[in-house]
Amino acid sequence: MELNAWAMAGILLVGLATFSIGFRSSRLANTTQDFLVARRTVRSRRNAAAISGEYLSAASFLGIAGLVLKDGADALWYPIGFTAGYLLLMLFVAAPLRRSGAYTLPDFCEARLGSAGMRKLAAVFVIFIGILYLVPQLQGAGLTIHQVLPGAPVWVGAAVVSGVVFVNVFGGGMRAITVVQAFQYWLKLFAIAAPTFVMVALFFGDGGVRGAGVTGLTDPMPPRFPADVVITVETPVVLTVTEPVTLTATGGRVDGALGGRVYWGAGQHTVGEGTELRFTAGSPVPVVQGAPPDNLSWLRPVSGAGDLFTTYSLIVALFLGTMGLPHVLVRFYTNPDGRAARRTTLHVLMLLGLFYLFPIMLGALSRLYVPELLVTGKTDAAVLALPMKIAPGLLGEILGAVTAAGAFAAFLSTSSGLVVSVAGVLSTDVFKGKVRDFRFATFIAVAVPFVIAWSLRPTDITLSVGLSFALAASTFCPLLLLGIWWRKITWVGAAAGMLLGGGLVLAALVANIVSGYTGGWAPAFFQQPALVTVPAAFLAVLIMSKATQSQLPLDANRIRMRMHAPDRLGFIRDRDIARFGAAEDRARLANGRHRR
Amino acid sequence: MTSSEDTDWIHIQDSPEFVELKRRLRRFVFPMTLAFLGWYLLYVVLADYAHGFMATKVVGNINIGLVFGLLQFASTFLITFLYVRHADRKLDPLADELRERLEGDRR
Repeated sequence: MELNAWAMAGILLVGLATFSIGFRSSRLANTTQDFLVARRTVRSRRNAAAISGEYLSAASFLGIAGLVLKDGADALWYPIGFTAGYLLLMLFVAAPLRRSGAYTLPDFCEARLGSAGMRKLAAVFVIFIGILYLVPQLQGAGLTIHQVLPGAPVWVGAAVVSGVVFVNVFGGGMRAITVVQAFQYWLKLFAIAAPTFVMVALFFGDGGVRGAGVTGLTDPMPPRFPADVVITVETPVVLTVTEPVTLTATGGRVDGALGGRVYWGAGQHTVGEGTELRFTAGSPVPVVQGAPPDNLSWLRPVSGAGDLFTTYSLIVALFLGTMGLPHVLVRFYTNPDGRAARRTTLHVLMLLGLFYLFPIMLGALSRLYVPELLVTGKTDAAVLALPMKIAPGLLGEILGAVTAAGAFAAFLSTSSGLVVSVAGVLSTDVFKGKVRDFRFATFIAVAVPFVIAWSLRPTDITLSVGLSFALAASTFCPLLLLGIWWRKITWVGAAAGMLLGGGLVLAALVANIVSGYTGGWAPAFFQQPALVTVPAAFLAVLIMSKATQSQLPLDANRIRMRMHAPDRLGFIRDRDIARFGAAEDRARLANGRHRR
Repeated sequence: MTSSEDTDWIHIQDSPEFVELKRRLRRFVFPMTLAFLGWYLLYVVLADYAHGFMATKVVGNINIGLVFGLLQFASTFLITFLYVRHADRKLDPLADELRERLEGDRR
């Protein structure tokens, strides 16, 4: 691929728009009156768009299509889980947490369990989750820049996003203002929907599957290259071949030997770093180890007992993890009352469902048009690479520019929300909470993920995001569910659950990284350990709480009552705030730092 | 928080309306969640072990597995919709009634 000037322009435009809207609306919203007006007029639909805007990250924009390309039907669990997590959040957590008066997870820990130590512990895990979620965003940005500007090393994109987010948060421009996030949702939807419509039209215009001369998506055969192709393998891979294929390899080692004209029989083949592989049109496509090799098994959900464990694990992580994501919970406070919060959730589900239709279609189209990504394993690039393959020339460049710009919108909005959350927790709970500390905290919140993203070998975006969901599900989910619905939870039990669940997930994460550099010995479930870690965390909370009943907080009953009183009943004070608004509250909501 | 608020709330907490309200919420939320989780987990098991059943053709290339998969999405929306309706019809009116009484007492 050569330099796509259109895409560079598109990315620049998104960056500038994010800057200017952020700065303008933060200036507009500086007076008390503006906060009050915004409070009364934020309707559930716009609020829903804002929630979705913040939620749709690199994993949604690039990762889902990439995973559909590689894993097929199994990848559909991600969009299903991303949306269903919201349902559980609404049913069990949103309303009671809102009524408890706690704005953040550390707030909740302190209020419910009456322990300042728990507050610190929760803060630490908020930071872990935030960083774990930020790293794939930055890696996605690196991938995007690398795709539109092939000469650029991968860290450039990460540096660009880090820089924009840092300056924005630092200058107070990118506050979690509803309008900005809502704009981001519609931008992302447009950036993925418009190219999908054009590409699907082109696909059918060419005569569908028959016209492209490739394997149908329901055939029990591997996909085929639609044209002659040269693939550069940048990181060593192991490929699975089901149908024998002949190719030319130059520049690196293939199966331990020097390249040349190579015949690959069915089985596993290793390709070394820096190898160029040439396939002719119509050759069957070898796929990276672990991915379904033929189109029929690609289309079939769950294919094997190991998969059953992984699938269950994924479902647990996604369903229960959403409620523990720091940047998601805060958004529910912008609703004026419980009725609006419920309507918002309904709209969020519709908006997310609408969005996810498109990456799924793009993933399926990629299997027909860019199967070479299956060889390198870098399937996250599918959305970015597809336009030039379907429509070579100007149209493809413009479509590619639109998707690249949309991807950048995704990195920027999610990263900003996360950085604000992490920096807020860092400055209030770890440093002292002065303004200068908030700036220092912002720097830390941007710099640490950047260094990690830069130094680690990128894996699939969606897998990393799945792991941060697992961490959230193993730490905050037991705490929230039991804290809200179980009378007898104590701070000792909560701490035990958090340390055990969180510790297990982090151990799996470290083992995974080490294994990635030392021959891939880690079993598959290390990538998604939620099925083990979540029940372990729940059990630890239950057992340790039972054992330490003397530590029950004195005001537990009052807090529980406050949480479970029906929404519109509310406390008189809260209702007055809802009716007349409190400027300080809005200010706190707007900049993401919440202290009672 | 003032002590008179506390007294009011203990009073309310014991009232039959409040007990009924809590019961209505739980009676909806817990069974619905169990059904919802059960349905997802069942789908995975079927997909893994009941290939024959899931591969049953319905129309053309569309088999039962695909239909069930789509229904997974649909069921999330359906449950959310049902909950919103349940809360609007069954929970809010009762909560309003309770609030009226509480405010009446206060005046």
